[in-house]
Amino acid sequence: MADNKNDYDYVAHGTVDFKDLPPLDSETNEIMHDELRTGVSLTVFYFIMIFSIPVLNWYFPAIAFKPIWGGMTVTWFITSIVMMAMAFIIAYIHTKLYEKRLAKYDHD
Amino acid sequence: MGMLLEPKMILTVFLMGTIVYITYLSKKNATASDFFVGGRSFGWFTNGSAIGGDYLSAATFLGIAGLTFQLGYDGAYYAFCFSIGLTLLAIFVAGPLRRFGAFTVADFLGYRFHSRRARLAAVVVVLSISGFYAAPQLLGAAQILSMFFGTSYEFGIIFTCIVMIFYVGIGGMKGTTINQALELWIRLGAFVLMLIAAMYSGLHYDKILYAINSFSGPITGTSPYALDGSNIQFDGEAWTGTGFYFPTFWQTISMTIGLALGTIGLPHILLRFYTNPSAKAARKSALMAIGIASVFFLLAVYLGVVGRAIFLAGTASEEVMRDLVIGGNNMVIPSTAQALGGEWLLGLVIAGAFAAVFSNLSGLFITSSGALAHDLYAEFIKKDITQRERVIAGKVAILILGVLYGGLGLLVKDASIGHLVALAFTVAASTFTPIFILGIWWRRMTEKGAIAGLVIGLGVSMLLIFFPSVMPEFLQFKIPGIITVPVGFLSVIIVSLLDRQVPADVNDFMKKVHAKGSETV
Repeated sequence: MADNKNDYDYVAHGTVDFKDLPPLDSETNEIMHDELRTGVSLTVFYFIMIFSIPVLNWYFPAIAFKPIWGGMTVTWFITSIVMMAMAFIIAYIHTKLYEKRLAKYDHD
Repeated sequence: MGMLLEPKMILTVFLMGTIVYITYLSKKNATASDFFVGGRSFGWFTNGSAIGGDYLSAATFLGIAGLTFQLGYDGAYYAFCFSIGLTLLAIFVAGPLRRFGAFTVADFLGYRFHSRRARLAAVVVVLSISGFYAAPQLLGAAQILSMFFGTSYEFGIIFTCIVMIFYVGIGGMKGTTINQALELWIRLGAFVLMLIAAMYSGLHYDKILYAINSFSGPITGTSPYALDGSNIQFDGEAWTGTGFYFPTFWQTISMTIGLALGTIGLPHILLRFYTNPSAKAARKSALMAIGIASVFFLLAVYLGVVGRAIFLAGTASEEVMRDLVIGGNNMVIPSTAQALGGEWLLGLVIAGAFAAVFSNLSGLFITSSGALAHDLYAEFIKKDITQRERVIAGKVAILILGVLYGGLGLLVKDASIGHLVALAFTVAASTFTPIFILGIWWRRMTEKGAIAGLVIGLGVSMLLIFFPSVMPEFLQFKIPGIITVPVGFLSVIIVSLLDRQVPADVNDFMKKVHAKGSETV
């Protein structure tokens, strides 16, 4: 960083029609695809779980509000315990897969 | 003299003293990097704790248990929705954002599109979201001061703003981060002590939920404080069911979308990822913050249930019963702490509540000061600004924000804290979330698309929040995420596809934020 300037100050730059834009280099492209594939897969799985809770509550209340442990119902257990752990587990798997990819890139 | 020796006063003064000391130690901010991003020097543990401190605001610390106490299962569902966002942020944004490594959220747009207009639009959105978020935090602070120290609402707002101006203005991001990390552990410590005390008292989760579910009828000991003078009625089966707060399936889905996607667009959370030394540390920070937040939400819901069980038993002191009836949701955690552990646990909870307010507000102040000083002043007014002048401009911005946020705080005296925060999440989900996700992963996004996304997302959010009746009844939502989030995403995509003029260096940008070898910038 220059003394009085920072790297993110405005610098004029042209634009180009997307059809004239050269393709991304293969390495960056591959990294982005790997990252996106992992991220989207985990997110789709996560959102299926997330939206299954209101579906369960509103359309299958007999299952959702069935007590399983004292007064704790199926949906209470999933919403306030399982899904709290799930937020961490999904992020943990993502971080581990990322570190594995990082090690592979470093090795390559 | 008596009040000065009460545990709540001793612990609150101790917290204030610690903040002053840390702020004093962190006062050396020679460059803009020091002031706005703490010299990018924080490891994953400190930054993860600070992200947790930033995210788990007073609305969370007091509000989640309060909502569970009041709404039962629907309150627990609210907490669950808040728990989703950090995970999505960790997956799609945390690492690339750190590799990009700027000073402010608006830098991302300014740099990605080489556009002053996009930067200006981002500044407006940052200030809007931060205003939405800061007002309820100030409201919470003033309520806590009023409830426990007997001060007026206006005094509470002014006092908190003065503390914030000092705290953030002198300490900058360094002082703010260390204070936030410390304050997080005070809150978590208070919750863990409450958990231990509840377990020791035999208030096991399964047992108390069973007792609540089986309860139907009047609650003993509530008549002296009820408006009609008779004991309050309670239906345990309805409380453990759904539909209390969000009466339809689609209202529930709309809230889920708004809250789940809002975190990715919260400027004060995004900014925290610039303070790590590397992208790897940024991802680990996010993971740590998710772990903390998950434990925190789990405990908050449980403590809300404990509060309800104590209330139904009717065996707590008159003071606790009175506070639970007339004190509103924000009194559930303090009253439960008092019932479980007496004055010292109550004192720790009050100190924790202040820690939550300070932690969250400091994040909002530092983020908005960056938007005013770095993005507005340095980019549009004084373009040959020196590093020292940037820091001074940041401090002046904090003073201006103190006055602005103070004014907002005075305006929302009767508003609901939890609802205002949820609306801030919706605005963020409809503006910055599409911009960051698409800006990081989609090369076809154009400057016009970004500006359209911000302007339309903000406009539609504001319209549906303040004037929901413009929509037909079946499209009116308490949290309108189901409409505003798709509108935000579609605005960016449609305008970008029509415009087609992408920045000529977009491939370099993608390489910078994704390619290997750019782990530390």
